[in-house]
Amino acid sequence: MMEAPQYVAARVQRALAEDSRTHELGIRVDVRGDQMFLRGQVSGEEHRQRLAAVAQEVAPNLKVHNEIKVVEVTRPGEDEHLD
Amino acid sequence: MTELRIAAVGDVHLGEDVRGHYRQRLEGIGERADVLLLAGDLTRHGTAEEGRLVAQEFRDLPVPVVAVLGNHDYHSDAQDEIAAELRDHGITVLDDDGTVLEINGRTLGIVGGKGFGGGFAGKCASEFGEREIKSFVRHTRTIAESWQLALKEIEADRKVVLSHYSPIKETLEGEPLEIYPFLGSYLLAEAVDSVGADLILHGHAHKGSEKGMTPGGIRVRNVALPVLGRAYGVYCLNGG
Ligand SMILES: [Fe+2]
Ligand SMILES: [Fe+2]
Repeated sequence: MMEAPQYVAARVQRALAEDSRTHELGIRVDVRGDQMFLRGQVSGEEHRQRLAAVAQEVAPNLKVHNEIKVVEVTRPGEDEHLD
Repeated sequence: MTELRIAAVGDVHLGEDVRGHYRQRLEGIGERADVLLLAGDLTRHGTAEEGRLVAQEFRDLPVPVVAVLGNHDYHSDAQDEIAAELRDHGITVLDDDGTVLEINGRTLGIVGGKGFGGGFAGKCASEFGEREIKSFVRHTRTIAESWQLALKEIEADRKVVLSHYSPIKETLEGEPLEIYPFLGSYLLAEAVDSVGADLILHGHAHKGSEKGMTPGGIRVRNVALPVLGRAYGVYCLNGG
């Protein structure tokens, strides 16, 4: 019997949080058919790729779409004056 | 009138692959701010090596740096080593206590620590039932009590609370409702409201929103890096 996609997504999400290579809690995982979508924001490209690699290991039969964004640290913006 | 310019950021989650990147963005901070506050989750895995990397990134800046740790910094049980590494490099690390800085003849008191979860008034866990639940909620309560005490004891022209977890819901907007109890606790806000402060800064909720307010009217800012989308926020308080 095929496993419900929600359980697969939950298992991937847990792996991303618990695997010592990633430890990333803020990634959204969606499974649709044989496709898996990863969304969220991280601080570096290598880290972004490790997340996809760990996700792929947990669900080797799914095609992984890595839509995780690397947050570019831009210049500080406007000050806020709290009066 | 003297302004106290407070730069703040949380959740920088530094790792080997981004070594040096963040520091570049701190160039010129001496002209923009009087102090830099770090709202926890400085590392990804909470190892001592990452702690060293964080210390390198934030050492010897033209402004004093005050930090709290986040849940990621606790993951490898190396939080004490990470804190020691930061302190060795001149960074003040708050652990449910406070410090006072002198800035242009005014004093800025900073109180805080990691904080913890439990949820928000009316929809929160309580100290009831299994030992595991009770110790979860007790952890938050103990922290809130320490902050209240530290705020009472500290004497300063302006007071800021620095936390990793959120004291209010508003700055979590954007996060799934189901995980709010793991993102913060109203006990933190209640403790601060009971004594008073001028600003509360926190991180942790990467998908949350920047601005909110406690029930008592204290401004709250979520300074998690993904929320800010910029190197750090600068919040100016009238120093009186
Ligand atoms: Fe974080
Ligand atoms: Fe966190």
